Amino acid sequence: MSTASLSTTITPGLDRPLKNRTSARQTVSNSLTMAYRGLLKIKRTPEQLVDVTVQPILFTVMFTVLFGGAISGDMASYLPLLIPGILVQTVLTTSVVTGVQLREDMDKGVFDRFKSLPIARISPLVGALLADTVRYAIATTITWIVGYALGYRPEAGLGYVVLASLLIIACAWSISWIFAFFGVIARSASSVQGISMSVLFPLTFLSNAFVPIDTLPTWLQPLVNLNPISHLITAVRGLADTGTIGVDVLLALAGAAVVVLVFAPLTVRAYMRKA
Amino acid sequence: MTTMTHVLTDSGTLLHRNLLHMLRYPALTYFVVGGPVVFLFLFVFVFGGQLGAGLPSTGGSDRAAYLAYVVPGILLTAAAGTAGGTATTVAMDMTEGITARFRTLAISRAAVLTGHVLGNTIQGLIAVTLVLGVSVLIGFRPNANPIEWLAAFGMTTLILLAITWLAVAMGMASKSVESASNLPTLLVLLPFLGSGFVPTDTMPAVVQVFAEYQPFTPFIETIRGLLLGTPIGLSWLWAIVWCLVISVIGYVWSMRIYNRRSVV
Repeated sequence: MSTASLSTTITPGLDRPLKNRTSARQTVSNSLTMAYRGLLKIKRTPEQLVDVTVQPILFTVMFTVLFGGAISGDMASYLPLLIPGILVQTVLTTSVVTGVQLREDMDKGVFDRFKSLPIARISPLVGALLADTVRYAIATTITWIVGYALGYRPEAGLGYVVLASLLIIACAWSISWIFAFFGVIARSASSVQGISMSVLFPLTFLSNAFVPIDTLPTWLQPLVNLNPISHLITAVRGLADTGTIGVDVLLALAGAAVVVLVFAPLTVRAYMRKA
Repeated sequence: MTTMTHVLTDSGTLLHRNLLHMLRYPALTYFVVGGPVVFLFLFVFVFGGQLGAGLPSTGGSDRAAYLAYVVPGILLTAAAGTAGGTATTVAMDMTEGITARFRTLAISRAAVLTGHVLGNTIQGLIAVTLVLGVSVLIGFRPNANPIEWLAAFGMTTLILLAITWLAVAMGMASKSVESASNLPTLLVLLPFLGSGFVPTDTMPAVVQVFAEYQPFTPFIETIRGLLLGTPIGLSWLWAIVWCLVISVIGYVWSMRIYNRRSVV
């Protein structure tokens, strides 16, 4: 065997044609790997699922048991109004975690490590957002189960319940871009939590989640009618209780699309600047 | 100077320390007031129309009837909310070593805890007064005479003393400041699981039994009766008994931990 066949030509780094872009295929692959990392984090630290497991149970039981009788006369007649409201509130609150965990990862320096790897820069961000859809699915499932255990029977049947769940998960995913943006630009994880909750708390409670709009003060009703969360809740109620795909479903999807179109580029730009 | 005079003087000094803390860190008072005020607006303006429909009419709207009903519950939510801050400050003193420092001084042992209790009771009274002020601004109209106002003030002070003694014990029993702030949150749930926000007869049977026999129901019914003239019955007596029981438990528990844990 000649020595010539063993020799390899090493091209100096300066002369090598380096790529500073990744293909769409590689970006998708990297993002899925990062999503898998997110799922592993959930598997290794299941206590981080406390919010998606305890909150829906606590809120549903508390509102039904404590206020059901006073609001609707009895628990059973309050459930069709309450469960879709609790469902939307729980899943949207869960989406805050996206921003908080993103900020924690950035503070710990793990994103600095990702920067040094030959992967798509955007993949850690997209991966985190994808992994969180599992959290939304868990929160949604638990809320439906608790509602069912308390006596709620969606009139439209299982197919429409699944459709309603997918609508909520899609909207929560779109809203998680807002919190991801906060996560990228904020100074600390606690400030992300603070900002996010101060936005979400009034939005979820100043909606038709817990009481019919016509029981609210007249000056508050226009505000509640304008609230996008009210449209999402009405859409979910329509799907689960009557099986109707009405204007509110389209409004909810359009709203979700607008949020993604506005906040995805903002988040990506802010993230790229930091990365 | 007698032993009692020593205790009072030392308690006064440590009360002054706690009041200085309150002035230097007003955020804690804002937090104690902020939560109940948010609940007040939420329950009156969002749930009030619906929840007020089932209440006896007061001549006004359903929302006005509910405002009158819910304010005593909100006031006691504010009182219960002070427990978190109390437990946190006590836990900070325990973990940062200042309590161990006090142990080496020639001061009354009880005074260290009494200073905390009195300081936080005053903070609680300020919080309750501010929440009451906001309630009046949005339309709450109590019809109490001066004696009833005085009785309501006395009852609130007793309740705050009881809650604070329990919170001090919780703060001392906690291993960390974080767990100390979480432990008393259960107290904030009690007005909800009582007659604070809805009449107990609208609740399921099991919850109703708990709601009627837990301490916050007589507390709320007594304050409601004194401020609005609703029937009190024996609630005032049960309220005083509960205050004494909770205070004794808190005092004994905290003194036992103080004597055992704060040795250098």
